[in-house]
Amino acid sequence: MIKLENIHKYYDSQHVLKGINVNVNKGEVVSILGPSGSGKSTLLRCINFLEEPTSGIVEISDKRVDASSASKADIFSLRTSTGMVFQQYNLFKNLTVLQNVMIGLTNVKHIKKDEAKKTSLEILEKVGLTNRLNHYPAQLSGGQQQRVGIARALALNPEVLLFDEPTSSLDPELVDEVLATIRAVADTGKTMFIVTHELNFAREISDRVVFMEDGIIVEEGTAEQMFNHPKMERTKQFLSKATRNN
Amino acid sequence: MENLLDIQFLIESFPAIISRLPITIGIAVGSLILSLVIGVITALIKIYRVPVLRVISSIYVSFIRGTPLLVQLYLVFYGIPKVIYFLQIEYGWLQSADVNSIAPEVYALLAFSINLGAYLSETIRSAIESVDRGQFEAAKAIGMTPAQMMLKIIFPQALAVAIPNLGNMFITTIKDTALVFIIGVVDIMGQAKILGSRGLAFFEVYIAVSIVYWILCIVVERLLVKIEKRARRYERGIAS
Ligand SMILES: Nc1ncnc2c1ncn2[C@@H]1O[C@H](COP(=O)(O)OP(=O)(O)OP(=O)(O)O)[C@@H](O)[C@H]1O
Ligand SMILES: [Mg+2]
Repeated sequence: MIKLENIHKYYDSQHVLKGINVNVNKGEVVSILGPSGSGKSTLLRCINFLEEPTSGIVEISDKRVDASSASKADIFSLRTSTGMVFQQYNLFKNLTVLQNVMIGLTNVKHIKKDEAKKTSLEILEKVGLTNRLNHYPAQLSGGQQQRVGIARALALNPEVLLFDEPTSSLDPELVDEVLATIRAVADTGKTMFIVTHELNFAREISDRVVFMEDGIIVEEGTAEQMFNHPKMERTKQFLSKATRNN
Repeated sequence: MENLLDIQFLIESFPAIISRLPITIGIAVGSLILSLVIGVITALIKIYRVPVLRVISSIYVSFIRGTPLLVQLYLVFYGIPKVIYFLQIEYGWLQSADVNSIAPEVYALLAFSINLGAYLSETIRSAIESVDRGQFEAAKAIGMTPAQMMLKIIFPQALAVAIPNLGNMFITTIKDTALVFIIGVVDIMGQAKILGSRGLAFFEVYIAVSIVYWILCIVVERLLVKIEKRARRYERGIAS
């Protein structure tokens, strides 16, 4: 249901993504692992066209968007069928928790205020933040902010959630609450892409693991395969090294 | 005995001067609003690197910054009627405009808007650019249009950053409006001049008018502090 076909991305002359192909089924959780600079974030951001792929096709459900001919409407459709969770949370600083979650419903989907509020409250309930509705992001802990970030991404009920290192900015003691929230979302059957350095978490939560290096997918497989029986020497090195560091 | 000041005259000049306060405030506030529009447009032109317009707007900013306000005031006052007249004669445009019926207040408002707009342009541009890139990305990621992103997310945050600067420029503008008398606007300064020549007591009326400016600026400063607090409330306090 989500298909990336031959995605290429250049920054000027730097070839950052060198023909990425991925197929993901509905409800699958896919972790993208790889060393720094390998193109993980770029790949994720190409899915919702925060970065425009230089070439390639992004397909979500029935919507097929070719980078060479993507219209504004195409990009809008990709953005509303994806939800993104950022490393730095990127909550709208001038809006309260509730407003952060509601704004996509009221302004992008044009849903009536009271209905949008009801939906937002339900989602905030799921991430355990109904006691912080009128707080501004600056008044929340990193973990709380990231849970609002997840709620905001969920609000538009996207086909797929994109997480870019959702716990990398958090103090260690706050990581667990966010991982638990992500896990709970995964359990609802949401399709997810997760870029993370939390290897143990990736191993536990993923249906599929993609290992990237230098703009290509070196190897992909089930979490079991990738962590226990990687085919490629490079995969083995990376996963074992990082596991030791954990 | 020779008096330094005719206190009586000084005090009696206040009501007449204050009666002209709406003109001074009107020109200052009106040009603040118009110049914010100009400033936002020119800032966006620069940020989005709009071809052609970008060159025009940087020439505009450079010209305004490089010439005295007084000269700009004269240029608008003498230039605009000429241009309108020329367009009427040569092209038959703007036939309904009667150049002679345009109030000097209108020229003053235009000149100050054009002037302040150029100065605000840079302030607004840097305020918009100071907003964290992540805010733009998050807005795009949920599917907001550029206009929604700007209005709902970016401008409110940029405004909070820019208010101290905007406020200073606004206060400068209030004081600069004292120039409008030269094109025939009777603002508080104009009124002071009139009273002064009538009573041959210039020192008195200028003391009076300076007190009015001073108090006006103090009040505006207080107001700005309140507005800034409100605009920045998301940075700390809890929403009600
Ligand atoms: N906006 C940009 N302009 C130019 N080069 C960029 C840009 N964004 C990323 N790059 C380059 O593209 C390459 C891939 O970056 P990317 O952020 O996708 O890596 P990553 O795998 O997410 O790394 P990390 O684990 O450090 O987040 C890097 O060499 C980076 O310098
Ligand atoms: Mg990254």
